[in-house]
Amino acid sequence: MSSALTDVRRSTVAEAAVERPDRKKKPPTLRKARTFYLFVAPWVLGFVGLTVFPLGYAFWLSLTDSDGLSPRTHFVGFQNYIDIFHDPLTLSSLAKTGMFALVTVPLSILAGLLLAVMVNQPIRARGLFRALIYLPAVVPPVGAALTFRLIFDRDAGAANGILSTLGANPITWLVDPNARYVLYALVLWGCGGSMIISLAGLQDIPRELLEAAQVDGASYWQSFTRITVPLLSPVILFQVITGMIGSLQSFAPLLLSSGSLSGAGAVPQGNYLYMIHVFAQYFSASRFGYASAMLWLLFAVILLVTLLIIKVSARTVFYTVEPEGSK
Amino acid sequence: MTRTYRWALYIVLLAVVLTMLSPILWLVSTSLKSPAEMASFPPSWWPQAPRLANYTDAISQVNFLGAAQNSLTIAFISTTLTTLSSAWVGFGFARLTAPGKKQLFVVLLATMMLPGIVTLVPTYLIFAKLHMVNTYWPWVAWGLGGSAFLIFLFRQFFAGIPREMEEAAIIDGCGYVGIFWRIFLPQSWPVIAASVILSFTHAWGDFVGPAMFLSQDSTTLAVAMATGYVNDKGLPLNNLVAAGAVMYVLPVLILFLFMQRRFVSGFSTSGIK
Repeated sequence: MSSALTDVRRSTVAEAAVERPDRKKKPPTLRKARTFYLFVAPWVLGFVGLTVFPLGYAFWLSLTDSDGLSPRTHFVGFQNYIDIFHDPLTLSSLAKTGMFALVTVPLSILAGLLLAVMVNQPIRARGLFRALIYLPAVVPPVGAALTFRLIFDRDAGAANGILSTLGANPITWLVDPNARYVLYALVLWGCGGSMIISLAGLQDIPRELLEAAQVDGASYWQSFTRITVPLLSPVILFQVITGMIGSLQSFAPLLLSSGSLSGAGAVPQGNYLYMIHVFAQYFSASRFGYASAMLWLLFAVILLVTLLIIKVSARTVFYTVEPEGSK
Repeated sequence: MTRTYRWALYIVLLAVVLTMLSPILWLVSTSLKSPAEMASFPPSWWPQAPRLANYTDAISQVNFLGAAQNSLTIAFISTTLTTLSSAWVGFGFARLTAPGKKQLFVVLLATMMLPGIVTLVPTYLIFAKLHMVNTYWPWVAWGLGGSAFLIFLFRQFFAGIPREMEEAAIIDGCGYVGIFWRIFLPQSWPVIAASVILSFTHAWGDFVGPAMFLSQDSTTLAVAMATGYVNDKGLPLNNLVAAGAVMYVLPVLILFLFMQRRFVSGFSTSGIK
């Protein structure tokens, strides 16, 4: 805290010292402003060209009946959006996606938090434990999906191998209604990513607070629920938001089934997520207008969900106030 | 911590580690099985006579080396451009001031919350209109645009470097480009390392990008692995799938094991609060 103060003082002294030679040249602020925009230009251009413009283009497409090929497209107004709400397949894929997010996001965060608490204990080889539990999270999505396809293969898979040693009948895992559990398992396999984030949050908690609680006679559970969880709440909120954004646009079942963007037909009904339907509309059915409307609906849903989470959490998330300028 | 508690913790953690690693072990085991062993039920836990020829078969079946070269090219383009561009922009946000900077920074942070795949499909449509599909130009464009998260990491790092450094350079007549290039960038190697690892693993693992933007014969390993290993009846050749997947995943795992500290620091919470 005191170092922050001296830093501030030192920098103002330094500023005062260099101000005089600068004044003789061009007005410094204008030059600095131009340099600033020179530096941020790549990102601004990229953001406009690769995010804002494509989204705008998709919105324009969503108001037409474009099939991506024929030059004559007609303006149809909001007809595509109206069609979405009359298309049971689209609506049910949206519902499945919501269900998928509601199951996997809390489970991953909870598992990650539990693991983070365990590998944060003063035990031997905890660095190794952390690394090995985190390892699956760095396996590329295609590699992970293929691995789970092999584990849950009906004949050559380990899952049915275990069942048969236990004397049970083999299960056809990769079709309805079991395929969704394979999907959940695939997502949970990567919960090490959540563990690492929660672990970093745990390590940021000042030790004095926990020690003080212990001195005051708090049990482990009490200090966990009264100190650790509140101080961790911004980290958990961050994970809830990024987890929701990630799972609402997940197409993992596609990798689990066919491995091709136009292979939506091979995905079991229970795993037919929204984004898979979007790909099918673009790349199999060539309904560019309708698919673009679907994208915009998803975009709006994700924005709404994010804002809703932030709004709801405003009362429960606890932010420590840090002095301006400190890291 | 009591003794029993400590032991219980070890046992639980050991069980977790085994569970987490077992899929990888199964992948390796499957990758060594002969076609005859693949056909027998129940499956054996470990192949009787490990068949290394699966690996050479997996390489010849899908033009593995060609796809690996494409993966490496794309990873190289993304990694260098994304890292340089993100450092450049991060320097601007950390060290320079201008009207509108605060608002731009808020926009930058907000873009981290944007759904990436939602914007990817229309980007494809635009690149298709520009006849840049099946080239590497999209990756050049994405790389030059930088990554919001990495820009943020670089900004945090550069903001912590003492102001005196920059002031001394200005007095010596060095411009901001020189300050960035000669003073700030060379100091930021921890962030550069994190950035290289994150962008490399992302590019190596990316499936939708190459699946949309590249044709089947110029595609990357990620796409080749997902679709390539089928027999003439369209059924998957699971032992070859496994062998290919092992070779595809291995570079990332090796990178991770050698540089886990950097991996982890790349995801640390600085900025979540």
